Amino acid sequence: MSVLRPFKAADMFKFNNVNLDIWTETYGIGFYLSYLARWPDLCCVQEAPSGRMMGYVLGKAEGTSHEWHGHVTALTVAPEYRRLGLARKMMNLLEMVSDESYKGFFVDLYVRCTNSLAISMYESFGYSVYRRVREYYGSLGIGKGGRDEEDAFDMRKPLSRDPNRRSVRLNGREMIVSAHDVP
Amino acid sequence: MSQALERQIKPIYDSLDTGSNKSAIVACNKLLKKYPKNELIKSLKALALVRSQKVEEALVLCDELLQAKPTDDPVLTALMHCLRGLGRHKDMVTMFEDAYKQQPANEELGIQTFFANVRAANWKSAQLIATKMHKQFQEDRYIFWNAISAVLQARDPATPPGMQTILFKLAHRLLESCTSPTYLIADRFYLHLFVLRELQLYDDAHKLLDSEIGTVICNTNLSCNEIRRDIWKRRGMVAEEGARGERRIIEQKDRNWLEFLAVLDATFEGPEKPTAESIEHAVHLFTSVAEIDGTKDRTGLLALLEVEKRARQSNLSTDPGRLPSLLRDYFGRIGGKACCFEDLKPYLAFEGNEKSEWASFLQGVATTADTISNLQRSINAHKILRFMLDPSQVTVESESTLLSTYVDLYLSALPLGADLPSTELQPADDFALLAGNTLVSLWKLTSDAKHLQNAAILLEFALGKSKHSFQSRLLLIRVYRLLGAPSLAVDYYRGLQVKQVQHDTLSHFLLSRASNFSLAASGDLTFSSECLESSQIYLSNTQETGDFIVRAFTSEKYSQIPEFIEFEDRLENSLQRDLVKIEHLRMRTTHEVITSDLIDMELIELKFIFDRTHHDNRDFDILANYQPHFSKSLNEQTLLFNLPAEGHGWLHVFMQVYIRALQQGSDLDDTVEEKLLIGDRPKQSPDPEKRGPLKERLKQVKEECLTELTPDEVLLVTYAKALADWLEPYHDHVRPPPAVVLAEAAKQTELKTGFALRGIEIPPLNGNGNGKKDEEAPAIADPPQEVVEFFAKIKARFEVVVDQPSLNDILQVATLAQEAFMLFVIETLRFKSPSVVKIHKLGALTNSFKPIRATALEVLKFISAGLTTRSEKEGSTEVRTAFIDGFSESLSNKDIDQEFVQGIAKKTTESRKKVLEGVGKGLLRVCSNYSTN
Repeated sequence: MSVLRPFKAADMFKFNNVNLDIWTETYGIGFYLSYLARWPDLCCVQEAPSGRMMGYVLGKAEGTSHEWHGHVTALTVAPEYRRLGLARKMMNLLEMVSDESYKGFFVDLYVRCTNSLAISMYESFGYSVYRRVREYYGSLGIGKGGRDEEDAFDMRKPLSRDPNRRSVRLNGREMIVSAHDVP
Repeated sequence: MSQALERQIKPIYDSLDTGSNKSAIVACNKLLKKYPKNELIKSLKALALVRSQKVEEALVLCDELLQAKPTDDPVLTALMHCLRGLGRHKDMVTMFEDAYKQQPANEELGIQTFFANVRAANWKSAQLIATKMHKQFQEDRYIFWNAISAVLQARDPATPPGMQTILFKLAHRLLESCTSPTYLIADRFYLHLFVLRELQLYDDAHKLLDSEIGTVICNTNLSCNEIRRDIWKRRGMVAEEGARGERRIIEQKDRNWLEFLAVLDATFEGPEKPTAESIEHAVHLFTSVAEIDGTKDRTGLLALLEVEKRARQSNLSTDPGRLPSLLRDYFGRIGGKACCFEDLKPYLAFEGNEKSEWASFLQGVATTADTISNLQRSINAHKILRFMLDPSQVTVESESTLLSTYVDLYLSALPLGADLPSTELQPADDFALLAGNTLVSLWKLTSDAKHLQNAAILLEFALGKSKHSFQSRLLLIRVYRLLGAPSLAVDYYRGLQVKQVQHDTLSHFLLSRASNFSLAASGDLTFSSECLESSQIYLSNTQETGDFIVRAFTSEKYSQIPEFIEFEDRLENSLQRDLVKIEHLRMRTTHEVITSDLIDMELIELKFIFDRTHHDNRDFDILANYQPHFSKSLNEQTLLFNLPAEGHGWLHVFMQVYIRALQQGSDLDDTVEEKLLIGDRPKQSPDPEKRGPLKERLKQVKEECLTELTPDEVLLVTYAKALADWLEPYHDHVRPPPAVVLAEAAKQTELKTGFALRGIEIPPLNGNGNGKKDEEAPAIADPPQEVVEFFAKIKARFEVVVDQPSLNDILQVATLAQEAFMLFVIETLRFKSPSVVKIHKLGALTNSFKPIRATALEVLKFISAGLTTRSEKEGSTEVRTAFIDGFSESLSNKDIDQEFVQGIAKKTTESRKKVLEGVGKGLLRVCSNYSTN
C-alpha cells in the first residue's frame, strides 16, 4: 500500500531513508533537477501513508528513429520496503508513460552483470539482455567479481510500438560492445 | 571576427573551461596588445579575473564593457558569467535589457533578457518582456512564459494579497487568448488547470478535464492527475472520485493508495451520510482485492482496516471483534515484512479486553525467531507491544526486563544472517535498535549515564555485525554526543558519507551546538571544517539551481518551475545553514586573531542573513523511533540539554548578540557599506516585524526566543546585551565618520590592487584627519552589574557542574565563559589604540575594562585547571572499570566479548578525556593571546 506520486524537487529534503542505504547514490542537486526539468513525467515516488518515502524512479526518453526509447536511470527502494512489489509498480508507470506519452519503441536499463537478483527481477518484468557493455562501471581490473563486476547488461523490454519485438534479441548476453558505443 | 582571431581566442576558452585562469589572463593580455579594443577578449579577461578572485580589477573591466552597451552574443555570455560570479544579477538584467533595446528583432537576446529577469526573480519585468516577445515573434510559448510569470509574481511573498487575484486573472486571460489549445502539451495543460483552480473556476476546469484528451493526459501524467484530484475534491465531486477510484481498482488493478482513499472518502465523507450498506460495499470491494492479491500486495488488507477505523469513528461499527480480527489477519499475512509495524501504527488505539487479547496474540508470536520470516514477525510483534505500552507499564524494572529480552533475541537471531555478504543489513538489526531505544528510556528514567554507555557498547556491537546499518550509526552519533565523546560522533558521522543536499538535512546530527565540543581555540579545526564542508551545498544551490529554472522554461515544464523556485528558496534560506554559520563563527573567533577585517566580514555576512525567512529542512524523522506511544520520541530524548533542537528563536537571539557586537566593533556603517559592497543586496522582507531600524531591532530580545536557550546560554545573552548597551555610546562617538572610513578603504585598495576604488568620491576632510567629532565624549558610565558579575557567576556555575557526571554541562559552561570573553575582546578592540583613547578622553572607560578583563582571565584559567583535573579523572582506570562494570551489571552473561566491551570503554573515555583537555588548553591559549591590554 503506497501512494504513487510525482517526484518533486523538494523530495530531495526527504529522501534520506532511501539514500542512506549504501546501494543508492546521492548525486548533486543538478542531477535530479536536470531530470525534472525535462522528463518530470518519468520521475515518480512511492510514499507510505505516513508520508515516509519508500522509493523512487528517475527516467528519461532518448535515442533516434527506431532507437527512440524510455530509459531507467535510477530505481531504488528503501531497505524496509523491499519485497513489496514497489519496483514493479514504478516500472509499470515508467513503461506506460514511455509507451503512451513518448511513443517509445522499448524501455531499457543497465545493470551490473554480477547483480543476479536484479537481473532475474527485471526478467520477471519482461526484460531481456540486449547486449553486454564492457567496463560500463569503469575499469576495476580483474577483481573478486572479475569482468562481471565492471560490465553491465543492457536490458530491454519492447513496447506496443514494437509489436514484432525488433528491439530485443535472444542471444544478447553474447553481444559485447564497448562502453564508448552506448549513449 | 576574422578567422585568425577566432583561432587565437579558442585557447582562451579552453583555459577557462579547464580552470586555468592564470593562463587565460596571460593569453588575453597578449592578444589585447594586438587588438586593444576587442570587447570579447576584454570580457573573457574579466571572467578569468573574477574566477581568480581579482575582484577589483575585474570590476573595472566589467564596468568599462557595460558602459559600451554590448550586443554581441559571446561578449554578453562572458559578461553574464562575470556578473553572476560577482552576484550582480541586477546589472545583468540591465545589460541584457540594453542589448535587447538596441536589437529588438533579435529573438535570442529577448530570451536572454527574459532569463536574466527570471534569475533575479523580477517577475513583473519578465512578464513585460514575454509580452513584447509574443508580439514580435508570435510564438505560443511566450504567452505561457508570460502567464507563468504572472503566476509566480502572485505567489511571491512580497506581492500584496489584493494583487494576487488580479495577477491570476491576467494569467487566465493570457491562456484563453492562446490560439492553440493548452491540452496539446501536458505541462501547458497543467498550468491552465493551476490558474483555473486558483481562481476557483472549477466548472471551467472540469470541462477541460472531462474532455477525452483531458482524461488521457491525467491517465499518463501524475502531476496533472494530482491537480485533477484536487479540483474534483474542491468541486465537491467526492462521490465521482470514489467511483473513478473503484473503477481503476477493479479494471486496471490500480493499487495506488490514493484510489483506495478516494473510495474511503466517498464512503465516509461524501454528500450522503455513510450507511451500513455503503460501508458493506467498500468492505466487499476491499475484501475481493485482498483475496485476489494474497500476500503480494497489502493495499486491500490495509484498506479494510481503514474502513473499520472510520466506521468506529462514525459509530457505525457493528462488530467489536472486527478490528482485532482484521489486525490479526493483517499480521498473519504481512507480519513477515519490515513495514508491518509502521502500517499498523494508526490502528492501535484501543483499550480493555481487545487490547489484552491482541497483546497476548502478539506475545505468542514474539518469542520465536528461528527463521528470517519468524524473526521479522517477532520484531514486528515487539515493536507493536512496545508502542502500545502505557505510562504505568514503563518502569526501570519493566524496561530492564524488556532490554534483556531484546538483547537475547538479537544475539540468538544473529546466526540467521551470518552468511549474508557484508554489504547487506542484518535481519536482526532492529532488535539492537529496540534495545538502544530501551537504554535511552532507562537513562531518561534514572539519569544514570551507565545506560547510555551500554547503548554505545550494544550499538557498536551491532554495527560491527551490520556495517552499513545507518540507523545504528545515527543513534550512536546521538549517544556519543550525550556522553561527551564528540570525536567518536565525528567518526560515525563521517562514516555515513553524507553528500550534497543531505548536508542540509542531516548535518544537525553533528553540528547542532557544536561549539560546545569545538577545540578550535587549541588549534584543532575538526568541527570548523565540518561546518565549512556542510555549507558547500548552499553555494551549489546559488550557482546551479537558477540554471535549471531557466532550463525548465526552455523545455516548458511549467509544473516544475514553481517547485524549483521553492526548492531554491528552501535551501537558500535554510535554518540549518545559518545555525551552522553561527556555530562556525563561535568557533572562528576562538581560533583566529580578532581583527577589524574579521569583524567587518562577519558583520556583513550576518546582516545579510538576519532578515531571512528561514525554512527548517532538518530531517528529524530519520531516526527510527520505537518508544511507547505516549513517550517523547527517540529524537527528542537524545537532543542535548533536554531541550528541543535550536530553532528560529535560538538563531535570532544569537544573531542579535553577534551582529550587535560586530557592528559596534566595526567602522562600517550603513552608508559605508552601501558604497563598498558589490553585488545585489538581499530583497527586503515583506514582514513588518523585519522593517524598522536594524539597530533597534537588535536590542529587542524576545522572551519567547529565550525559551529555546539553556539557562547558561541565557546568562551569556544577558551579559552580551548589557555589555553592548553599556559600550554603544562610546563606539558611536569614536567611530570615524563615513568619509574617513571610505578614504582609508580607497587607500588600502589602491595599495593592494593598484586600482582606485570605483564609484567613490571622497569629500575633502574638514580640518583634522582623525575624524574627531566636535561634540563631547559621552560621560563615562560604570560597567553594569550583569557585566561585572558575569565571570564570577559562570565560575560558580562551573564549580557546581565540574564534578557532575554529564560532561555536556561542564563543556557548555567552559565554552560559554570563553565566548563571553571573546565578545568582550570584540567589543573593546576599538579602545585598544592609545591614540583613540587619548583623543576621545576615554581613559576612565578603558580603566574600567581592566578589572573585568583580569577577572575574566582568572576565571578562564580556573576553568581550564578544573577541566584538566576532570580530564585526568576521565582517563583513570577507575572510570574505565566503572564503564565496564556498568555493562556487566545490566547485561551480565550476554554473549558479548569482554575484550570488545573494554575496547569501547577505552575509546569512549579517551574521547571524553581529549575534549576536556582540549577545551582546557584552548582556554589557556585564549588567555595568553589576549592577556595584555
